[in-house]
Amino acid sequence: MFKTIKHYGRVTLENLKMSILTTLEYPANMIGWLLSNPIQFLIGFATIQFVVAEFGTIAGWGYGQLAFLYGLSVISHALSMIFFVQGWFMGFYVIEGEFDRYLLRPMNVLYQFFFTGFNLIGITDLIPGICVFVYGCIQIEFEWSVYRVLAILALLIGATLIRGAIYLIIGTTSFFTKSVNDFGAYTQELFDKTTMYPLTMYPEGVQLVLTYLIPIGWVSFYPISELVGVANGRFAWQGAIWVTLGVGVLTFLVAALFFRWGLTKYESAGN
Amino acid sequence: MNRARGSAYFYVYKTRILKSLAYRFDVYGNIVMQCITMFASAFFWKALYAGQETVQGVNVEDMLVYTVMSSLMSVVFMTGIERRVMQSVKKGTVATDMLKPINLFSIYFFEDLGNMTALIVQNMIPIFIIGSLCIAVPKPVSMEAFLLFFISLIMAFFINWFLAACFSMWTFTAINMDPMLQVKKHLIRLLSGSIIPMWFFPDWLSNILNLLPFVYIYQLPLDIYIGKYETAELLPRLGIQFIWTVVLFGVFQFLQSRVTKKVMVQGG
Repeated sequence: MFKTIKHYGRVTLENLKMSILTTLEYPANMIGWLLSNPIQFLIGFATIQFVVAEFGTIAGWGYGQLAFLYGLSVISHALSMIFFVQGWFMGFYVIEGEFDRYLLRPMNVLYQFFFTGFNLIGITDLIPGICVFVYGCIQIEFEWSVYRVLAILALLIGATLIRGAIYLIIGTTSFFTKSVNDFGAYTQELFDKTTMYPLTMYPEGVQLVLTYLIPIGWVSFYPISELVGVANGRFAWQGAIWVTLGVGVLTFLVAALFFRWGLTKYESAGN
Repeated sequence: MNRARGSAYFYVYKTRILKSLAYRFDVYGNIVMQCITMFASAFFWKALYAGQETVQGVNVEDMLVYTVMSSLMSVVFMTGIERRVMQSVKKGTVATDMLKPINLFSIYFFEDLGNMTALIVQNMIPIFIIGSLCIAVPKPVSMEAFLLFFISLIMAFFINWFLAACFSMWTFTAINMDPMLQVKKHLIRLLSGSIIPMWFFPDWLSNILNLLPFVYIYQLPLDIYIGKYETAELLPRLGIQFIWTVVLFGVFQFLQSRVTKKVMVQGG
């Protein structure tokens, strides 16, 4: 058991090294994204802030609290891009027969799928996320404590796992449809609109769906509203931060099981 | 343009419509995406306007019409030229495109026009029905406003297309354009008033933005449509829009004559 973990650890480290080298090989690409992603999120937040400042509040959230929500949401988005972006491209892996390679190697297929390459371009999302988050902290005069640091770490882990699980579930459908439909843009649009704004601006039916059916509400809205102490609607739970961590682990487990089942339907289509 | 050439362009246009009609998933995916954006914006405005009548001279009904119309207009502004050029430079098919006895960029223009025609049928109508039923029926304030809107929309279409075309010229020399395309997409989305109109921005910023071409893609036609300005106020704005259309056409012509000379074919 211990030996296996050590082995996986070493392989991960080696993969990470390779990813860094590959990324550095194409500096122009990295610089391009370094421009593009911060523009998207910084200007994106600025426009929202202008409107909310003009109106006062939205669903009880001021723009400082909104910055806090938006910033943490972009950070968990960035983390999910670094570790789990492959889920978006599952269709290509299935069509190209890439899983043949993974199936032949003596390691867990899901592990290989996610961690053969790290998407270091995701770091370019992390930068604007941290900027907006820090701005939010200053605006609402967020008081730091050991408990709060742990809480933020827990909610980021939970949120990243929920995002990764949803990418994986959507990606796994490619085993059944055997098509290269790229759901990435749609997934991101859905996440952007639901995790960067207060969920309570949507009707209760939508809130209910996003709490229990598709657990997007837990990615940012419930844990953060508890952390900054704003009203969070009918479906909120006490201790939402720790619930988020639980929901993250649970949805990821469900996604992994679905993936394993989908893998049995895999037939090599490549070559 | 002589007749043979005219019919060649018409052929490109027609083939593109048929091709677009064949890609089912893209169509449904796009409708879903547009609807997510449209509904999110609608609820965003409803939540903001809770307890307020008018802000910046606009009420919530106007904003909902604005939102639905913006989604409908986005269908007209989808351009395939950047990706088309990028792929044909990468694969080397741009060489065979250039051998054809008709203008390269005119082919791309008619392809985009064909795409747009297919999208109007496949996307605009469903989005119109969904938007009208669930959010607001996008009625113009007056017949006169509708006519002016239409004129402005045509100029907006050309501004948007020339911008995309100028952008695609870069691809002839630079290789990976993906991040740059994203930059352009975000700038247009955020600074053109497609989601949030300029009136809510601080004055210094909206004054700068009024000088850039972006606001003349979404904001001006939409302002006209919801009756934000008097006709007298509109004319200078339409004037600037016209100037931008001409300027971008000039830039496009200039770049076009230069860039095709130093195309760098990758594959082939």
